[in-house]
Amino acid sequence: MTTTRTKQVPRLDEMTRSELIQYLKDTVKPEEGLIPSYIFSHPKVYELEMEKIFLKDWLFIAHKSEIPNKGDFVTRELGGQSVIVTHGADGEIRVLLNVCTHRGMKLCRMDNGNQKNFTCPYHGFNFKNTGELIGIPFQKVVYGDTMDKSTMGLKEIRHDVYADLIFATLDDDAVSLDEFLGDIKWYLDLAFNRAEMEVVGLPQKWNVDGTWKLGSDNTISDSYHTLVSHGSIAKLGLVPTGDYSKYGYQIYTGNGHGLNLGMPNPDGFAFPENLINEYKERLHEDQYDILKQMKNMIVCVSPNIMILISSMELKGQQVSHTSLRIWKPTGPDSMEISAWVLVEKDAPEEWKRLSEQANTLTFGSSGIFEQDDTENFTDITQNSKSPYHLQENIVYNYTMGMHQEPVENFVGPGIVYKDKFNEANSRAFFRNWLDQITAE
Amino acid sequence: MQEKIILQYEIEQWLYKEAELLDELNFDAWYELLDEEIKYIMPLRINQMEESKPDYSEATLLFDDDSTTLRLRIDRLKTDMAWAELPPSRTRRNVSNVKIKEVSGNEVTVRSNLLLYRSRSTDTTADLISGEREDVLRNENGKWKLVSRWFLADQTSLATRNLAIFV
Repeated sequence: MTTTRTKQVPRLDEMTRSELIQYLKDTVKPEEGLIPSYIFSHPKVYELEMEKIFLKDWLFIAHKSEIPNKGDFVTRELGGQSVIVTHGADGEIRVLLNVCTHRGMKLCRMDNGNQKNFTCPYHGFNFKNTGELIGIPFQKVVYGDTMDKSTMGLKEIRHDVYADLIFATLDDDAVSLDEFLGDIKWYLDLAFNRAEMEVVGLPQKWNVDGTWKLGSDNTISDSYHTLVSHGSIAKLGLVPTGDYSKYGYQIYTGNGHGLNLGMPNPDGFAFPENLINEYKERLHEDQYDILKQMKNMIVCVSPNIMILISSMELKGQQVSHTSLRIWKPTGPDSMEISAWVLVEKDAPEEWKRLSEQANTLTFGSSGIFEQDDTENFTDITQNSKSPYHLQENIVYNYTMGMHQEPVENFVGPGIVYKDKFNEANSRAFFRNWLDQITAE
Repeated sequence: MQEKIILQYEIEQWLYKEAELLDELNFDAWYELLDEEIKYIMPLRINQMEESKPDYSEATLLFDDDSTTLRLRIDRLKTDMAWAELPPSRTRRNVSNVKIKEVSGNEVTVRSNLLLYRSRSTDTTADLISGEREDVLRNENGKWKLVSRWFLADQTSLATRNLAIFV
């Protein structure tokens, strides 16, 4: 006797590429606020993401202040590929593939430093920090005249800079960085062009068994979670209870980018007072007006950047802190977080110190806000791995705020909703994500 | 010599006791071991070329605490909404290689290794945080208090989801 199973677990790994794409289009319904759970951990979805998003988008790799001098470099990762960001002897910034052109050895294994040349640990091929191959041990003996060094320089990766943020892309056909960023630049100015900014130290890194998408989703849309996830902070009286994180605007600027702007700030101006003239000079009047009232700003630059300006009272002083992080995918169900802290270069030293300390206390790896977020990312991702979720097509609800209309009278660009308890930005983020991974 | 052995013993026992209090989640008793002026610092480990340079940076700190912020962290853990430690991690602190580096008046500078095993919830894999400490302990009325802690982890990219624990 045989039993007939009425329900089947869809075998995504046995589908053809076009069947998989069709399945995604059939099951992910951003406009209806329906996001199926399997997308948060399925290896087949991850493969598409790496190919269609992380090999194609502009990704953040460094801030210019990390490599101020000739010879300075940092090593970073881009779409799973190690790269060296160099400030060359000629003064130019380059992004070089960290792969020796002879046999593919990782050329530089350091996080940062200052070097004129990079020597491959395998056979000693020697490259200038401009990428040019200048030395091969025993060249004459082993190659005679057959080796043309000029064809063997390090591969240069396309890069561009906005607001001192260095972005790179592995896609030579990608649209310009300017076009990719679009209207989010207006808000990036508030974070990184309001004054000359500099990175403090190096990014700290830690690893979470959660998908990168939950980081971006949380960033672009989810002020609502602060009520409960960060309820401990309210219990201690560090933030007012209830709906403190509701007030302000949720803004979508296109291409998967958006933000939540918390304002007004009842605690007053949270930036160094001595820089007010610089802010006024560098920002548009409307931007400065927002800065004056800003309590916090949480920006997602798709696919995986979070930019945060937050403020708190520490040691009797109202102080803001500014950070940038990436949710770097390391697998279908895991990510590495890298977090940079930035300060106004010309702020008083005591203010800088306080700002750094506020960031470490709240949003670093030990941060009392930060640490509770990683529980959500981990448990949602791990839950989604069960085949039961695929069998039942378990779908999560992203319908918050669907009854609301955008406001027309906001000074900045984008689709703007009054108040931040809304999931409009997540719906837009997942629409953009779906369009990218299902593009033929 | 005998004095040195007694001091070594006292300091070791203090470190073991401290580890026990933290592993038992007895944070209030742990806090009692801290001096009011405590500096509690965790620099960033980095991959660097030159051996002459330290392979860490104090420009980036993973912990940057004093007695006020440590108290805040403890009070937060006691709320019923500190999700990062609900349920609490099971931790096992192994303190070893305790070396007294300097004795100055009523203060000692002590180096030790810490191997911190952390098991979360139902996870079958555990997080390991390994590193080196430099502590300064001060003897006040016969009791040792922690005046400063400096903890340097061995990983440049930490294999733990957060630092909701103490090091």
